Amino acid sequence: MADVSLRGVWKSFGDNAIVKGVDLAVGSGEFTVLVGPSGCGKTTLLRLVAGLEQPDAGEIAIGGRSMGGVSPRDRDVGMVFQSYALYPHMTVRENLAFGLALRRTARAEIDDRVGEAAALLELSPLLDRKPGQLSGGQRQRVAMGRAIVRRPRVFLFDEPLSNLDAALRVQMRGELQRLHQRLASTMIYVTHDQVEAMTLATRLAVFHEGRLLQQGAPLDLYRRPANRFVASFLGSPAMSFLRARVASGRLAGAGFSLPAPPGADEGMEVEVGLRPQALALAAEGPLRGQVEAVERLGADGYATVRCEAGPVTARFEGGEDVRVGRSVAVAVDAGQVHLFAGDGRAIEVRVAVAR
Amino acid sequence: MIAALLLIAATATATATPTATATATASPKPQAYAAPPRRLVLWHSYRAAEEAGLLASIALFEQRHPDIKVELLAIPYDAFPSKLTAALPTDHGPDLFVFAHERAAGWARDGRLAPLAGDADLLGIEAMTIDGVVQGLPLALKSVALYHNRRLVPRPPATLAELAAIARANTRAGTYGLAYQFTDFYYHAAFLNGFGGALFEEPGHRPRLATPEAERALAFVRDLRGAMPEEPTSTLVAALFREGRAAMAINGPWFAGELGGVDYAVALLPAPLRPFLSVECVLVSRRARQPAAAASLASFLAGRESAVARAVEGRQVVATRSAYDDPRLRGDGFLMAFRAQAERAVLTDSSPQMAAVWEPQKRALVAVMSGVDPAEALAQAQRRAVAVSRPAPATRSAWPYAVAAALVAVAAVVALRRAPRRAERQPAGTVARAYAYVAPAAASLLVLVFVPFAFGVGLSFFHHAGGRFTFVGLQNFADILGSRDYRLSEPMSFWFTLAVTLLWTVVNVALHVGIGLALALLLRDPLLRFKGVYRVLLIVPWAVPNYITALLWKGMFHKQFGAVSHLLIALGIEPVGWFTHFSTAFAANVVTNTWLGFPFMMVVALGALQSIPHELYEAAQVDGASRWDQFVHVTLPLLKPSLLPAVILGSVWTFNMFNVIYLVSGGEPGGATDILVSEAYRWAFQRNEAYGFAAAYSTLIFLVLLGYSALTRRAAREMEPA
Repeated sequence: MADVSLRGVWKSFGDNAIVKGVDLAVGSGEFTVLVGPSGCGKTTLLRLVAGLEQPDAGEIAIGGRSMGGVSPRDRDVGMVFQSYALYPHMTVRENLAFGLALRRTARAEIDDRVGEAAALLELSPLLDRKPGQLSGGQRQRVAMGRAIVRRPRVFLFDEPLSNLDAALRVQMRGELQRLHQRLASTMIYVTHDQVEAMTLATRLAVFHEGRLLQQGAPLDLYRRPANRFVASFLGSPAMSFLRARVASGRLAGAGFSLPAPPGADEGMEVEVGLRPQALALAAEGPLRGQVEAVERLGADGYATVRCEAGPVTARFEGGEDVRVGRSVAVAVDAGQVHLFAGDGRAIEVRVAVAR
Repeated sequence: MIAALLLIAATATATATPTATATATASPKPQAYAAPPRRLVLWHSYRAAEEAGLLASIALFEQRHPDIKVELLAIPYDAFPSKLTAALPTDHGPDLFVFAHERAAGWARDGRLAPLAGDADLLGIEAMTIDGVVQGLPLALKSVALYHNRRLVPRPPATLAELAAIARANTRAGTYGLAYQFTDFYYHAAFLNGFGGALFEEPGHRPRLATPEAERALAFVRDLRGAMPEEPTSTLVAALFREGRAAMAINGPWFAGELGGVDYAVALLPAPLRPFLSVECVLVSRRARQPAAAASLASFLAGRESAVARAVEGRQVVATRSAYDDPRLRGDGFLMAFRAQAERAVLTDSSPQMAAVWEPQKRALVAVMSGVDPAEALAQAQRRAVAVSRPAPATRSAWPYAVAAALVAVAAVVALRRAPRRAERQPAGTVARAYAYVAPAAASLLVLVFVPFAFGVGLSFFHHAGGRFTFVGLQNFADILGSRDYRLSEPMSFWFTLAVTLLWTVVNVALHVGIGLALALLLRDPLLRFKGVYRVLLIVPWAVPNYITALLWKGMFHKQFGAVSHLLIALGIEPVGWFTHFSTAFAANVVTNTWLGFPFMMVVALGALQSIPHELYEAAQVDGASRWDQFVHVTLPLLKPSLLPAVILGSVWTFNMFNVIYLVSGGEPGGATDILVSEAYRWAFQRNEAYGFAAAYSTLIFLVLLGYSALTRRAAREMEPA
């Protein structure tokens, strides 16, 4: 296994800068997820690591060795493509064996490794079929198998689950986690789905418009987002934001007033970030408004309440009687309030006791 | 059209009376109405000056006979003989026509011509006197004579030795002592006859080409090789003489029209040489509607007045002796020289066996001029002539075949009815509409493809000779496949030609695909600039009609004047006679056909390449594939489904590529580079009109290709992606 490091990497296509000065360190054996909305440059970054593109500036190193000018075939990486890119004219067995056959590996060893990967991914009964005869999930597993068989130093995944239906996606997520535990290999995974990101990653890196906004353990990013974008991107349903002003120890916004957590400067214009889990529907509370929309998910539900300062989404227990149009009050857990400055930067708050 | 028919009918009944009254110029009988002018249709293939001469004669005749109107139809020479063969037995043919005696004698033997009154004033009348009956009146005499450039050769040679000496003396860089089409037997005949050679032996009038006299004639001409340009065509000879780069030329009166301003004179060929004499006659069809009027026109055209007009205006060497009393003719050195040569010429043999002699003699000439021993060349020519003038196979009864065909048809119908109905029943209106949409295309396919095909297959069961077809069953096929009359490995054997055709197809298709694919890969490179320009340029070979390309390449391969030879000289390599050896002639054909064929494969490959997802190459790269690995494991297998149909199509086209073979190598040397389809052509149109035999050849070609497509269909089906 090897670690991957990117330092000051830039990449443009024509006049468009897609990757803008990214510094990223992926430790050996880590499962790092690159997440961000479409067009943020994460796939390009992955292709730079694979060697399918060359950076305009900066350095990429795998296993401590610079990969400048090294072609993909010499980097010893395995890649799983979004559209699987299986060789349509070869059987599953031949697809899996392709990389090894190119290196003139011994017949016996090829059979061993192919059998091993097939068993791991439950592909054994499908070995003599062609990709055209497989379902989406089966093709996905063949694509993974093709990467596994070669035992590369680094695995690269380019949104591999995006073409699967929801149930299959959940199942494959579990299999990916098991795979990582089993192989203990360095994995870099690209996705735009933050649920996948949160569940799979040991390290999470959030990208936006070509820049790396924050990296760290998923829960760290969730609990302490470094800026507004990361805060709004992670967590489903998304965080609600209300404009307010810090005045005499309180956050004063349109139609509401909340206690200001320590660390907020007097007179500052801030955005208050409230996760649905920090809010509850109550008879009384700092926020008041009318219920605009209700989503019931069974065990719990989310209600969007239109307050004077803007809409907020609050979580409620599944059995609660919540109806559209009702006027409600929203209670706020003051210890889970996030503050963001005008430039989007999170304002460091000291943990305060809930009041 | 109908009015004309009624007119003819009316005049036909009017002239049903004894012929004496039809052409009476004495006291006209009082008539209730003015009789409509009688109409004579005359076909000819004259152009330019000769046509003017004919028109002048016709005008004179119409002045003498105001009640007769002559309609002329000029037909291009290439189409003329077959048009006549087809039209003479019917009512749509001409009343009179003008043709040379060699072919006209054939029509006379077939009973197509009306007898005419002889005239002792006419030179060469024996040409069309068959079994004592005159069936054509000579109008003009055509033979070759000696043209000499007066500046280079002020006094023409009087003996063969002088001819050789003057020819060699006048040969320097770029100039030749003698230029004539020595590979055309018509010209060589002067030497053959001069050395006392004959073509046939009696009794039976069988071809006998391998005689000592013929060998001597060939040896003489071969020894003159250094003084003559190689691979002479009529254009080359004319160009050389016109530019003063040929001291002497052997050619006929028609040559004068191409010579421009060079100072030349015509003289007799030196003493022993006796060229063929071709007598151009006016002939009357047996089905002429106005036989008396036609006969009178024919006599007039051969008469003195018309002869003078034709000589003066048309520059023809007329056959009417008395015409030469006219001072205008007597003072014309050109006409008098050819007239003198005609007296010393030999009538071209017009027997049916003669038709089988031309091609073998030509092959022998080409062989000798490229170094083959004359005796051996003549022996081969003899074998060819014998093979070509094969006697008709025995006539068989058609009944067994008719019965067999009927049984096959019945079996086919039964099988079709028995076949399970796969489609559901459609409402009748839909079906009818569908058929209506398909009908026009189906009708044209039927008329243009299926009917001629069926006709051709049917024709292969017959033998054709002189316009008559006899049923011979499968004998043609047996003769072809059994390689009767010649050895298996000789070029005229079906199996030899089949082997050459297979080699031809394989080599060409391999090159087409290889070059096309390589270029497509180059054009696919995203960094290549001016891609659009390259693509257009590379399509051009395919866009130019292949007939023109073939002729261009043939010119380029000319040993002395061709661009390829100049290129070889520039590279310091001795130029070769491309068409004297099988390997080089085959290579010349392959080069031309590859030039024509690679754009098609390139376009197909380009399209197929663009349909391969780019990601597969990326996946292969990550898997560790080099560029070569990617080509072998990704590109090639994914190209196969698209290339295979193109390869099948290309091989069928190449198998039947007539144009390149016929126009570039012409089958040289000795027919070795002929492929099956050009052999079939020669059997039909160059060897005695053996239509049935040629049709059998074509049917065999069809069967070979049918088997090939069946095989490849199976291969294509196995390649269907799962």
